Amino acid sequence: MATSLSAVESAREELSGAAARGEGGRAALRRFSDCVDDFLQGLFAGAPRAAGASVIIALGGYGRRQLCLHSDVDVLLLFDGQIGEAEEKRVRSILHPLWDARFSVGHQIRQMADFAELEIDNPEFLLALLDARAVAGDATLLDRIAVRVRSPAAHARILDALKQLIDERHAKFNDTFYQLEPDIKDAPGALRDVWSVRTIAAITDPALIDRGAADRARLDEAEEFLLRLRSILHREHKRNNNVLNHESQEQTARLMGYGGAPRQQVERLMGDYFRHARAVSRSLDSVRQTAPVPVAANLVRSRDGIRFVDMDHAHTHPESWLSLFQAALDTTTAVTDGTLAWIQQRIERHPPEAFFPRPADRAALLAFLRPRAGLYARLSEMHDCGLLGRMFPEFQAIFCRVVRDFYHKYTVDEHTLLTIRNLERLATRAVRGRERFGALLDDLAYPELLVLSLLFHDVGKWRDEDHVEESVRMALEMMRRLQLPEESIALVEFLIRHHTHMSRIAFRRDTEDPEIVRQLADLVGIEERLKMLCLLTLVDVEAVNPDTLTPWREELLWRLYVDTYNHLTLEYADERIEHEESGLRAVMAGRPGDVTEAEIARFAEGLPRRYLQLFPSEEIYRHVRLSRDMHPDDVHADLKRKDSQWELTVATLDKPFLFSNICGALSSFGMDIARGHAMTNPNGLVLDVFQFTDQERFLELNETGRDQFLTVLGAVISGRTDVTERLRAREQSVLYRRRAGVTPTPPVIHADNQSSRRYTILDLVAENALGLLHRVSRAISRHGCDVGLVLISTEGQKAIDVFHITKAGAKLTDAAIADLTADIHRTLEA
Amino acid sequence: MKLIKAIVRPNKVDDVRDALGRVSLPGMTVTEVRGHGKQKGHTAIYRGKEYDVSLLPKMQIEVVVPDNLVDDAVAAIITAARTGEIGDGRVFVIPVEQSYRIRTGERSEV
Repeated sequence: MATSLSAVESAREELSGAAARGEGGRAALRRFSDCVDDFLQGLFAGAPRAAGASVIIALGGYGRRQLCLHSDVDVLLLFDGQIGEAEEKRVRSILHPLWDARFSVGHQIRQMADFAELEIDNPEFLLALLDARAVAGDATLLDRIAVRVRSPAAHARILDALKQLIDERHAKFNDTFYQLEPDIKDAPGALRDVWSVRTIAAITDPALIDRGAADRARLDEAEEFLLRLRSILHREHKRNNNVLNHESQEQTARLMGYGGAPRQQVERLMGDYFRHARAVSRSLDSVRQTAPVPVAANLVRSRDGIRFVDMDHAHTHPESWLSLFQAALDTTTAVTDGTLAWIQQRIERHPPEAFFPRPADRAALLAFLRPRAGLYARLSEMHDCGLLGRMFPEFQAIFCRVVRDFYHKYTVDEHTLLTIRNLERLATRAVRGRERFGALLDDLAYPELLVLSLLFHDVGKWRDEDHVEESVRMALEMMRRLQLPEESIALVEFLIRHHTHMSRIAFRRDTEDPEIVRQLADLVGIEERLKMLCLLTLVDVEAVNPDTLTPWREELLWRLYVDTYNHLTLEYADERIEHEESGLRAVMAGRPGDVTEAEIARFAEGLPRRYLQLFPSEEIYRHVRLSRDMHPDDVHADLKRKDSQWELTVATLDKPFLFSNICGALSSFGMDIARGHAMTNPNGLVLDVFQFTDQERFLELNETGRDQFLTVLGAVISGRTDVTERLRAREQSVLYRRRAGVTPTPPVIHADNQSSRRYTILDLVAENALGLLHRVSRAISRHGCDVGLVLISTEGQKAIDVFHITKAGAKLTDAAIADLTADIHRTLEA
Repeated sequence: MKLIKAIVRPNKVDDVRDALGRVSLPGMTVTEVRGHGKQKGHTAIYRGKEYDVSLLPKMQIEVVVPDNLVDDAVAAIITAARTGEIGDGRVFVIPVEQSYRIRTGERSEV
């Protein structure tokens, strides 16, 4: 031990001597650090044994082997097992001699279990670990921690933290390196900045130091110069003081070997200092600006775009390739050319199913396809590098496919991608005058399925025969491969099968003929499909050539859409499911064993015909079961998760204020009703289906939330609980108070006594607000009106609700309409 | 020599073109136009809000014909474009003083 101590003293003398000669640079500091390593290894070997493995880890400047004369020796003593008495003894036998050797020690004592959840929230510790090296003991313990520090998430935290630390440190020096008495460790352009440049490059892109204003050679030179200065300062101040103050500048200049009179020596020293500080500052600025930023697992964003960090990992995980393009979309940038070329070279090695092996991967694909800025550009990149064609061999079939006709101006693949670009422009409101179509897009529940339909609408053109049937066949194959839900498959199939239908009608049929409109309404059945078909038509026509979609054609298409929409929403109550209805027969034919034909007939006959188009068969059977054994005051309700929303289905017998009470119950839990349908059959059975968002996550966070909600719903419907009281408390909550100074858009109420044979129709467009549906429907019930059907939708912040109502079994008189609408206005303005 | 200008329903253009072809008048100019006559358009309601649709989309067909074919051409257009409802359109016959071919500069009869 004595030998070791004397060796440390000799090393200290040697470093002091080197400093005095102006030679206390990297090599001298490394020799001193190595000597401390030897000393620690000796201590480690001689210390009492612990139960498990352990290691001494050097951190910070000591980790970098740049230990100065009076620097802190930063060490982490790490134990594999629990730290008990034996381990504490071992610690003492290592630390005490270090203190005896006059070292200032910064120590941490930890066990591996402490790193089970690595402190990602402590980036300064993560930063220290970057320079960590095992000095003595079992180095594999350090390796086990280091793996976690190398994660993109940890790197992202480190980078953010480092940038913040740099900013804070520079602020202390007024953000300038022109300091007359510089701190050569902390000042801008000094040693910490050199290490920062290296750290940023190490965790992002090592080549950064050789690019742009950054200069590896000048950085090395500056570091050497600064370390030599620091060694002198430690020697002269006899402590860890790094400030090159006026008093020490003359002596330092002399020891550094500058010639001339003392004043000239100092001027030359400081001149060199500023030259190096400037080089360091420029390097730091350069790497900060160009450093790739970790954006997702194994992905960084660099100046030229998104790329993988670990190419080997990416190569064996093709399911992660889509995330490249998703990250590019999210950060509104491109994928780097190098990465696209890398994909192109490897694309043939992976079969289509390798890209979407798990449900999460398939969900990620659909999320990726949601129309937004940049989608066309990303899909084009995927197409150009062959990825799109590999993921979808059906799409590859139309690669550069030329179809000779008088109007198409692009190859089939580019035409297809342009349709998606046009949709993207609707989403971003990039084309003035098309906001009305953009609003339709905002209203879609599954816009990604529209994009999927566009992607496949013309794939059948790979052959010369009827392309529509072939496109449908190929799309069905793709959707089964992706295991999409049957509802989604049916929707995409419908859109592709009829993708030329609406343009044919709009531009070649007499759209003023109500029969033409009725036929289109019959074909689409529900508004969602109409909106999707209208948008598909618009973007498809526009992508044929730049002159195809004239404002005149746009207007024709819009009018056809409006007339059909009005037909669907205003007249659908008149068209009822009849006994021999083909759709009903199909439902009966496919019924499960526990549902009888008579039950289906009793439940569905007399409901609006659109019911059969709104719900798939499985849902209809569920509704039939829900409507069984119904007695007055019974409420059969079901609550289930549907994507990011919830769906409430209620079957009960009609009674006054029923609809209003259900809406009130939902609102009293803070639920925001997004869309819904309320309908009644001739037997007085009511079926209400609401989709809503649970903004406060009540159902998700409370284990008994569903039961609580359904209990309250039952109590409200049966009249045992006053829903208005429940709502009032919530409306008074600060969370729901209207923002001061914000004038709400006045509601618009339009009454229509013409469109439907049986009902007066109230069309309401109002700013969405808590309890809106409850208040409006309550006013309707107060006027003695019966709600036959309701169609609920939202468009951004606007609620759009269509009520089909009667009073004493007949349409309302003009006077009754005037009273009712005035009352609704008063209710909404209150 | 006359210029026949016909304003017809958009879906009737193909029928008119075929009908003119049958009376040996294959050439025509077609323009997308908007306007109203007696039909005057109407006010449509969309999502509770009224919007003006008073200018209706129509197609304008122009064809220059020799005097001896004017009656046949007008009859062909009217027959092809008629539905019997308001909004079927109009046909105008306008005298043409001279006609030149741009390619050759020569004066032509039609």
